[in-house]
Amino acid sequence: MNIRQRWATRIGLILAMAGNAVGLGNFLRFPVQAAKNGGGAFMIPYFISLFLLGIPLMWVEWSIGRYGGKFGHGTAPGMFDKLWKNPVAKYLGVIGLAGPIAIILYYNYIESWTLGYAIHSLLGKLPRVPQGADLERINEVFGTFLSGYVGFSNDSSLFLRPSFFAYIIFLITLLINIFILARGISGGIETFARFAMPTLFLFAIILVIRVLTLGSPVDPEVSVLDGLGFLWNPDFSSLFNPNVWLAAAGQIFFTLSVGMGAILTYASYLREKDDVALSGLSTASLNEFAEVVLGGSIAIPAAVAFFGLVNAKNIAVSGAFNLAFVSVPAIFSFLPLGFVFGFLWFGLLFFAGITSSLALTQPAIAFLEDEFNIKRKWAVIGVGIFIFFFSHIPIFIKGALDELDFWVGTFFITFFALCEAIIFIWIFGPDKAWEEINKGADIKIPKIFYFILKYVTPLILIVIFIAWIFQNFGTVLKEPSPGKWIARMFLFLFFVFTCIMVRIAFKKEKRS
Amino acid sequence: MNIGGWLFLIFGWGVVIFLVFYCMKKVFEKEAKFK
Repeated sequence: MNIRQRWATRIGLILAMAGNAVGLGNFLRFPVQAAKNGGGAFMIPYFISLFLLGIPLMWVEWSIGRYGGKFGHGTAPGMFDKLWKNPVAKYLGVIGLAGPIAIILYYNYIESWTLGYAIHSLLGKLPRVPQGADLERINEVFGTFLSGYVGFSNDSSLFLRPSFFAYIIFLITLLINIFILARGISGGIETFARFAMPTLFLFAIILVIRVLTLGSPVDPEVSVLDGLGFLWNPDFSSLFNPNVWLAAAGQIFFTLSVGMGAILTYASYLREKDDVALSGLSTASLNEFAEVVLGGSIAIPAAVAFFGLVNAKNIAVSGAFNLAFVSVPAIFSFLPLGFVFGFLWFGLLFFAGITSSLALTQPAIAFLEDEFNIKRKWAVIGVGIFIFFFSHIPIFIKGALDELDFWVGTFFITFFALCEAIIFIWIFGPDKAWEEINKGADIKIPKIFYFILKYVTPLILIVIFIAWIFQNFGTVLKEPSPGKWIARMFLFLFFVFTCIMVRIAFKKEKRS
Repeated sequence: MNIGGWLFLIFGWGVVIFLVFYCMKKVFEKEAKFK
């Protein structure tokens, strides 16, 4: 049997966990959600959701992970089986094993765009438009560049034709991931997080300072403070809108990267009496710093300062990709040394992406190591080859990336988080769950969280899940396309394959 | 930005910065004790 690895330092573990949580959403999704849902008033349901949903779920995942690691299980199937002696449990756990690896098939590719754009920016090869150009012109120039990069065309073709450069950068990104993962938990993931996370924060702080000192770059009537106002001026009427509360709870859920299975695996490398209460809270806090302080002070305030409030609203509703790859590089292209700021922007997105992709790949590697006794080097190579082959679906098939993201990046993670909460709190037992969370704790968790964990967190998850199904299911199922069906078929077969692997692993365990 | 915006910015940033400092202080205290 393989000897399970351990984290070398507490701070390294917290940075690796924070790296998993801090992703593109912190810098792109949060400011858009805040601006759309009541500005400063959004922070009221946002912080309430953090304390009622985000932090409790963090503790749940850290505790399940550490508990499973005690029995030599680094992934959800084995962990759920130990928490709930029912044959169904391990198959529910399949979502937390197959889910992250399905996410990584498209996540690595998007991560590679940020690296590609960072290189383009540094070499001065991103397009340029004269300052004062209208938004339509900017969208045309930068949008065309992005379409060329990913090979998107509006014709009826099933296939995308990404540029050669995009494909090479994807391969390089995948190799970097494999190289780091092959070096192990403390030697690879932890060492990298200790370098990447401070670098990410440094890049973001430089960009925040640059944006906040923009003044009124175009119109003397519109300054960067209006941009902050766009994000923070409260609209109290929004507090009576249930959709705003739902948006806040959803943002907390997605930003902390819970429900993906990655936190479980990272926490499984803890010792039995290592703290999870303070470490989980620290991870959530670092993520919130990256989101509320840094993420809210770059893209949207700069967009308002350069394009005005009306155009910034249009940018905000046009989506995260447009903000990241069209609007922000256009803004930096107006500035002196714009290529440096463009590099810092895409560099920080790359570090945010790679620390998350490492966490998402680790569960599959841990599964092969723990359940099949495969040596880490071979497990990493096997998973790497799998990712390489099946990443070609989202890279080359139109509509597959969005479809994969819909199912594994949204639907299954919400469902999986609900399973975790119910299995750990209700089936394993609220008293045992509370004891597990508090074991070795370096902080005293207020007793009110016992009540929150038992009733409030599962209830919020049920509401999010049901509301989310009502909001999205109809739209997605109504828009069939061959690319979407290929993605659905792949996911179905992949989940069946993972169930078979889990069955084989457990039969093997029983025999031994 | 109006006064409400400033108040909410201070509130939002304040909560987050407090949490980070509180947690990091505790983490480094425990780490030092452990060593």
